[in-house]
Amino acid sequence: MSEFGEMEELLQDFLLEASELLSEVDNKLVELEKRPNDTALLHDIFRGFHTIKGGAGFLNVNELVALCHRTESLFDKLRNGQLKLTPEIMDTIMAATGVVRDMFQDLSGRQMPGPAQKSLLDALDAAIAGQQAPAAAPKAAASAAQASAPAQGSGPDWNVLYQALVGEATPQPSASPPEPPPAPEAAEPALAPPSRLPAVQNQPAPKETTIRIDTERLDQVLNLSGEIGLTKNRLTCLRADILQGKSDGETLRALDEAVNQLDLLVGDLQNAVMKTRMQPIGRLFQKYPRLARDLARQLGKDVELVISGEETELDKTMIEDLNDPLVHLVRNAVDHGIEDRAEREAAGKPAKSVIRLSATQIGDHIIIEISDEGRGMRPEVIRQKAVEKGIIEADAANTLDDRQSLNLIFLPGFSTKDTISNVSGRGVGMDVVKTNISRLNGRIDVISVPGEGSTFTISLPLTLAILPVLVVGLGRQPFAIPLSLVREIIPIDPEAVQRVSGRATLVVREEVLPIRTLASLIGWPEAGPAAYGVLMQCGDTAFVLAIDNFIGRDDVVIKPLLDIKPKGIAGATLSGDGSIVLVLDMEELLAVGAPSGAQAAFA
Amino acid sequence: MADKNIKFLIVDDFSTMRRIVRNLLKELGFNNADEAEDGVAALHKLHGGGFEFVVSDWNMPNMTGLELLKAIRADAGLKHLPVLMITAEAKKENIIEAAQAGASGYIVKPFTAATLEEKLNKIFEKVGK
Repeated sequence: MSEFGEMEELLQDFLLEASELLSEVDNKLVELEKRPNDTALLHDIFRGFHTIKGGAGFLNVNELVALCHRTESLFDKLRNGQLKLTPEIMDTIMAATGVVRDMFQDLSGRQMPGPAQKSLLDALDAAIAGQQAPAAAPKAAASAAQASAPAQGSGPDWNVLYQALVGEATPQPSASPPEPPPAPEAAEPALAPPSRLPAVQNQPAPKETTIRIDTERLDQVLNLSGEIGLTKNRLTCLRADILQGKSDGETLRALDEAVNQLDLLVGDLQNAVMKTRMQPIGRLFQKYPRLARDLARQLGKDVELVISGEETELDKTMIEDLNDPLVHLVRNAVDHGIEDRAEREAAGKPAKSVIRLSATQIGDHIIIEISDEGRGMRPEVIRQKAVEKGIIEADAANTLDDRQSLNLIFLPGFSTKDTISNVSGRGVGMDVVKTNISRLNGRIDVISVPGEGSTFTISLPLTLAILPVLVVGLGRQPFAIPLSLVREIIPIDPEAVQRVSGRATLVVREEVLPIRTLASLIGWPEAGPAAYGVLMQCGDTAFVLAIDNFIGRDDVVIKPLLDIKPKGIAGATLSGDGSIVLVLDMEELLAVGAPSGAQAAFA
Repeated sequence: MADKNIKFLIVDDFSTMRRIVRNLLKELGFNNADEAEDGVAALHKLHGGGFEFVVSDWNMPNMTGLELLKAIRADAGLKHLPVLMITAEAKKENIIEAAQAGASGYIVKPFTAATLEEKLNKIFEKVGK
């Protein structure tokens, strides 16, 4: 890393900011394809390259400067109407942004990037010189660029000029003007940008270790910690009083007040700290329109990715971990979801198709949806494929309903495409997507209408740090249930319990719900009929969890159990009185205690 | 020698660049600097008072450096402020425009602390600091 030395910190800043800027440029380029004459867009893109070039100059990343200088010059001409945007120029620009991203990648690996391919630089030079088709007329392009290069080199010495204008003696120019682009020497093979783009996107994004926080949010944290300090001082005073035997009503009331206040403040502080980690999901989303566009072009499809809800905020670590699953889903939608042109035409659909990616916050959950208007999935086809690939037995397949059948795509080794394309579909995707989402305490679901398209829905908690729970008791042991799964709390009247095919059920407002006792789920002996039930909604399954008593609700920080991992226990936490509370992992618990293994696996 | 406590306003939409300029100024012993992310924010801060020197980028959204320069020169309370324009554009028109709009100096990215110092000293000489 010695190449950057003390610039290291600056480099990190630059990469963070410039990568965001490049993503914006990428999206504006996708927009520009639709509105090639939009001057505001041209200005913005120009400024983007200009800013990246400026930063790169200070970091002495000369190859990046050389490349951005060309794209910037090209956009300067485009925005001034000296050039017209053609699909060929567009391809060249797209290829160039891909290479800029590669160079960022090199930099984040502490590598000084090498020069961009000569063919790309030549194509850019040719485009700047006004040559429409660099590939078709490489000779002409070369000579044109050669002709333009000296013109740039022999331009006015602006430093001298400036000094002359402001009326001063001419000093030695202290900074040299940007190098004129080297004239291309020989014709090179035609540029083929689209073929290398997916490879660019394939590289794992470097993990960001820094975060940018709105100062207002930090101020709030500071404020609250200050107030907590004050309250602590108050408590210290009161403790001294009480230790000295003061126990009159006023002292106790003051103690009560101070503890209440501390309670509120700590809650606020937790929230405020959590908020510093919250980032708009748009940071992630903004990378995808370009991704979708490049894939679609490569596959000969006309696809637009429409994004909404970019401002929705999510914990930073979750945003990072969401990237891979979302990239996969976007690729999947473009590659498998959307039909090819002929198929769309045959189905009477417009050639252009839209994929929607949205995020919304519902309560303490974030819902991310990605839907295509493609061919959809047929449950019977999925079932058949799953059987053919030996993922499930034919008997088991026949017992699955449509929803369960669709969920088969999340099993390892499943891929509906027989021919593996290089875009997606190696059969290693959807199960990894599901695993990644589950790791974030989230769920993924799919619905599909054959001929009309598919929608993938991801549901995630806002943060992994703090979990609101309902604490219940079984005997004398407290357990915590994630509050997000609790619908309501009901008393269980033994008289009202009915037996349906041998299983205890309870009718709650005309809904027949099975009763599962917590004792049986965790394998404890049942000690008499339970008095209370918690009406739980766990995915699509609703049931009544029978327990002995309630302790209350609480916000807990889960400590994972390191050496032992009992089934159905997500971790442990401490209650206010210091006793250990086990936090239940309901989904795992149900999977373990489910009556039929096959059904449970796909539920 | 210039007063090292003179208060700078660094105007650039790219925060990395603001930091670079701030670091270079620090290297030269100028520790008193504030930042603004575009011309509009800069004017707002300038109206708050206390600034003695503006270092502004040229290319910014909302309000460009040139527009900022013109606004400063048109404002009775601010027009005396020295303004050093930073840009990567080595174009004749730009230089003429900057000079005509009343820029106190002109510096091209990328530059070193030495270059910056030279430019600053020229301006200080001129305004007699």
